[in-house]
Amino acid sequence: MKRKNIILLIIVVVLILINVNHYVLPAFKNSDKNLENEVAELTLNANELVDTYLLNEESATDKYSGKIIEVTGFVKEITHLNNRITVILNSKNENFGVICDINTNQNEKIEQLKKHQKIRVKGICKGFLKDVIILNCSIDLTPNE
Amino acid sequence: MNKILPFFLLFTFLSNFDTEDNLLIARQGQISFFSYTSVENIEAKNNQVLSILDLDKKEIAISMLMRAFVFKKDLMYEHFNESYIESDMYPKANFEGEIIDFDTTTKENQTRIAKGKLTIHGITKEIEIKTTIENINNNYVISGEFDVTVKDFQIKIPPILSSNIAKIISIKFNFQYQPYEE
Repeated sequence: MKRKNIILLIIVVVLILINVNHYVLPAFKNSDKNLENEVAELTLNANELVDTYLLNEESATDKYSGKIIEVTGFVKEITHLNNRITVILNSKNENFGVICDINTNQNEKIEQLKKHQKIRVKGICKGFLKDVIILNCSIDLTPNE
Repeated sequence: MNKILPFFLLFTFLSNFDTEDNLLIARQGQISFFSYTSVENIEAKNNQVLSILDLDKKEIAISMLMRAFVFKKDLMYEHFNESYIESDMYPKANFEGEIIDFDTTTKENQTRIAKGKLTIHGITKEIEIKTTIENINNNYVISGEFDVTVKDFQIKIPPILSSNIAKIISIKFNFQYQPYEE
């Protein structure tokens, strides 16, 4: 009987440790994580992304917001406003684009980046204002399509 | 020749009207908020705030995604979006208002009051915000600071965490405008 209790206690402790490791500790970590080696949940191009949001913002929010997505598009602008590196991708609709906030570990690639270049960007989609906003982006300079 | 001239004039007039659209846009406005308590300081920044400024009507509109606020810790981000702001239900915060006595002819710095409606967490409040308007190389920069009371927007903070989060949150903003390209 006693032995059973000890085994039970060990199991409970192990379970608690696993839980702490998986659910509690990540919450105290920095949110500026590196997504470079994460797998994107969705892959699409900038036109499709903007069109989906324009068509129906609500359903597009359900589909994309909060997810890691990979977007292919042409560079419209690179800005360094507020000490953030931001790449804006073009879409067919001139008024709407994709704003990509680039992770600071991508500095080397940013230097090679030119206007109108075709690139692939991976980051967390946050939603749509006038442009789709993607944060924590990493860049792939040579999209193979 | 005489027949063509009026058409020509008409065309130049029309094209003039088109370019005289006095709309300015800031796609990468910055808004940050601070909560100072003796237990901990919380700070978050949003660098993708959208704002449109109408120079003719002296109106300003601002919109931001609540999930685009970046915190130091993931737990803060989670609490902010899941428990307090409820970003799934209210993904955006907006401000719409007019800038009183905004002088669009001067190049000098001016301090004006922006009066309008602020919507956070689905609750709309009338608010007056003191703003500084600068004109740097023909580009407007609007910045300022103001306070909001957490209670005003029906944001519920559990008693256990009430010592960690300030009752009054200070908010800073900065928008750099560009001409709105159609």
